[in-house]
Amino acid sequence: MASKNRGPQRGGRNNQPDPITRWIVIGMVLLVVVIGAVFTVVSNKSASNVALPPGASAADGYGIVFNADKSPTINIWEDFQCPSCKRFEDTNGAKIAEVINQGKAKVVFNTLSFLGPESVVAGMGAGCAADQGKFLEYKKFLYDNQQQEGSGTWDKPYIISMATAMGLDETKFSACLNTDKYRKWLTNVSAAGGEANINGTPTVVIDGNIIESDQQGINYYTPEGFNAQLVKYGIN
Amino acid sequence: MSSDGQVIENSPRASKREELLDWLGLFARLALGGVVFVAGAIKIPTPYKAAAAMRAYELLPNSLASFFGYILPWFEVGLGALLILGVFTRLSGLVGALLMVLFIGAIASAWARGLSIDCGCFGGGGEIDPSQTKYLQEIIRDIGLAICGFYLYYRPSSRFALDNRGK
Repeated sequence: MASKNRGPQRGGRNNQPDPITRWIVIGMVLLVVVIGAVFTVVSNKSASNVALPPGASAADGYGIVFNADKSPTINIWEDFQCPSCKRFEDTNGAKIAEVINQGKAKVVFNTLSFLGPESVVAGMGAGCAADQGKFLEYKKFLYDNQQQEGSGTWDKPYIISMATAMGLDETKFSACLNTDKYRKWLTNVSAAGGEANINGTPTVVIDGNIIESDQQGINYYTPEGFNAQLVKYGIN
Repeated sequence: MSSDGQVIENSPRASKREELLDWLGLFARLALGGVVFVAGAIKIPTPYKAAAAMRAYELLPNSLASFFGYILPWFEVGLGALLILGVFTRLSGLVGALLMVLFIGAIASAWARGLSIDCGCFGGGGEIDPSQTKYLQEIIRDIGLAICGFYLYYRPSSRFALDNRGK
């Protein structure tokens, strides 16, 4: 049977091609592609009238800002699921907390969420923690208990139990997380990250200059390496 | 075409050769279509990564790179599906081949400019350590796939293709 159904040069029983099936297939494929592409573009667009967590500022890539009136400005773009971000936090988290507490710089945390659904849940949770004034504590707690990327462990119940364990108000936190209160905020952060040409995490930006680790001899996975970058901008 | 077909039909040896080439066509369809389909499907769940991989080439203005990063995975899935099913094989093969030529050019240009990025072909992407770049392997793979596409353009006939229905 198959041998009768080959290309036109084989001269099958019927030389009239029947294009209907082909047009149906190409129509369906086109439909899926167009709908999928449009959906992806639209759903990754920044939106206005978005609920922002306390401290978040549109002008700073929708990041959560500490010491708004200080300079220089350090932006830290991170994804709570990213292993390098954990390394960065383990290495420099205390130093950054010191910079914040001593008012040596304006520090902005831009929460990206591009490593899958766990990143989105964890990121929305960061907004919910900021509601209770515990963004930095939440961030550190998540890195201290980071799970393997994409393992699916960080679903909403799990993140709520983590937030409760670190002393956040469970009722408020779960109401916030379960209603996806900060999902659109995360989308806006991501759109801002795209505009700022942030192509990996963690990315540190000081006064608009992207500082890449492992490029041009820069290594911010050691305290000395990171401090050396801070010193360049007058932060001791 | 059909008069050629008659001639070939009369020669059992030529017919054997045609049959072999049809199988080769199937191989080319599944190789190019399969790789492109999978490459697209992997990237669909993480659009930010796909956009970031596109931006890392530094070939397009930022917003345009992001835009193409968002839509490319869908385009790849569609093209891959057409090739796997064998619909409009000649056109799909040509588009696939041209896409590969585009990828080869982009990777070669990243290499020549001394960027250290992952091609982002199957997710991933963005800046990586210079010791981890695999430009040559990526280019060789894409050349192989481009050959599959051009082959299908010149000889679209293949086994188990929807194009064969009703013929």
